[in-house]
Amino acid sequence: MNIIKRTFDGIYNLLKGMKVTLRYFFKPAITLQYPKEKWTMPERSRGMVGLLSDPETGKLNCTACLICMRNCPVRAIQITQKKDEEGKRVPDEFTIEAGLCIYCGICEESCPFNAIKMIPKYEFSTFDKKQLTHKKERLAEIGRGFKYNKWS
Amino acid sequence: MLELGTLFENIYLWGENLFTQWGVPLFWLELLGMLIVAAIILAFMSLSVLFMVWWERKVSGHMQSRFGPMRTGWHGWLQTIIDAIKLILKEDTTPEKADKAGYFFAPLIVFVSAFMAYVCIPFGKGLIVKDLNIGILYIMAITTFTVIGLLAAGWCSNNKFSVLGGLRSAAQIISYEIPLTLSVLGVVLLTQSLSMQSIVNSQKHIWEWYIFRQPLGFLIYIVAAIAEINRVPFDIPEAEQELVAGFNVEYSGIKFAMFFFAEYGNLFLVSAIATTLFLGGWNGPLLPSWVWFFIKSFFLVFVIMWFRWTFPRLRVDQLMGFAWKFLLPLAFINLILTGLLA
Repeated sequence: MNIIKRTFDGIYNLLKGMKVTLRYFFKPAITLQYPKEKWTMPERSRGMVGLLSDPETGKLNCTACLICMRNCPVRAIQITQKKDEEGKRVPDEFTIEAGLCIYCGICEESCPFNAIKMIPKYEFSTFDKKQLTHKKERLAEIGRGFKYNKWS
Repeated sequence: MLELGTLFENIYLWGENLFTQWGVPLFWLELLGMLIVAAIILAFMSLSVLFMVWWERKVSGHMQSRFGPMRTGWHGWLQTIIDAIKLILKEDTTPEKADKAGYFFAPLIVFVSAFMAYVCIPFGKGLIVKDLNIGILYIMAITTFTVIGLLAAGWCSNNKFSVLGGLRSAAQIISYEIPLTLSVLGVVLLTQSLSMQSIVNSQKHIWEWYIFRQPLGFLIYIVAAIAEINRVPFDIPEAEQELVAGFNVEYSGIKFAMFFFAEYGNLFLVSAIATTLFLGGWNGPLLPSWVWFFIKSFFLVFVIMWFRWTFPRLRVDQLMGFAWKFLLPLAFINLILTGLLA
C-alpha cells in the first residue's frame, strides 16, 4: 500500500508545482524592454561626469584649482589653466577620458565649487574610442540641465 | 455552413463532374487529389509547427516572468518564420567520418513517419484524409519508425554524444511504446473499432468522452506520449547538460530543421490523438467541428508545454524503472478492469 500513497503524494506535488508555474504565467513579466522603456535613474546615481555652469551667466563654475585632477585615482582628468579677461583663473582645456573613469566620485566629492558632478545619464557608448575623450564643451553640455537636489 | 469537410467534398464532386465531361479517367483525379491533400497537410503541419515553436517560447518566457521574443512583429510572431528561413539558408554540413547514406536518410525517416501519421487524424466532420479501418493501429505502427531514424541519426553521425543520445531515445521510445499502446487499447475495447472516425462518433456527448470512462488510461497515455516525443520530464535523449543535444548534435541547416519539425509535428500529433481518443475529438456545441478539434488539441499542447517548464528531468534508471515497474503494470490493470467492466 506504500506505493499507492507514494503515487498520490507524487501527483499532489506535481500539481503543486504546476500551480506555481501557472500563477507566474499570468503574472506580468518583469522584463524592461530596454531601448523602448528606460529606468528613471536614482538622484544620486553616478553616471557620466559633467561640468556645471552658472545658469545665469552660462560660465563654468570651475576655477581650475586642479584638486579633482590630483585626486583622480586613474588620472582620467587633465586640466590646463588660463586667466580670463577679468583676471580670474579658468580652465583652458578640461579633458576627461571617460574610458578610464572608474566612477568613484572622488572628483565630485573633492570639488570645493560644485563644478564637477556625476550626472545620472548613462548612455554614452560610441563606435570610436576617441569619442570617449570628453572635451570641455562636451562636459558642459553633459552638465547642462542638471537639477540640484538635496544631495548635491 | 462553416464545415470544411463538406467544402472539400463539394470540390471533389465538382472535379469528378469536370473529369467525366472531359473524358479523363478518374484515376488522375484521385492522384491529383492525393497530391493536393498532401500539400495541404504539409502546409498545415508547417504552420502549426511554426506557431507552436513561437508559442512554446512565449509560454516559457511568461512562466519565467519574462516576455520571450518581442522584437520581430507583434509580440515577436515573425520570429519562428525568420528562424526557419535562417535554418534553410544555412550551410548543410556532413561530418567527414559519418556514414553518408544513413546520415542523409535519418532526418527523412523521422520526418516522414511524423507526416504519415497525419493521414488518420480526424480534424473535423468529414475532414479526415483516409478513414482507415485500422486507424489507430496504423498511427501506432507508423510513429514507431521514428526510432529507426533517431538511432540511425545517432549512429551514422559518428559522434559519441549522438550515439548515446540515439541509444537512449531508442531504449526510451521502445519502453514507453508498450504502456502507450495498452492505454489506447482500453479505448479500442470500449469502442470495438480501430477506426478513428468511429471512435469519435462513439463519444458524441460530453459524458461519453473516454476521459471520464478511462481516466487512468488518459493519464497513462499522456505520460507515455510525452516520453515518446522526447520532451521534458522525459528528455533524456537530448539532455542538453549531458549530451549537448543528443542524436542531432552533428546536424545543421535543413536537416536539423527537419528533426525540429518532426519533433513539434509529433507534439501536435500526440495531442491530436489524445483529443480524438479521450476528449471527444471534434464533437462540441455551436462552433464548427474543426474549431473544437483545434481548441482541444492546442489546449493539450499547452498542457504538455506547461509540464516542460515545470518539471525537472528524470534520471535514466528512474525513467526505465518508471516505464517497466510502474506504468506497464498500471496499464495492464487498466486494460483488465476495462475488459471486466465493459
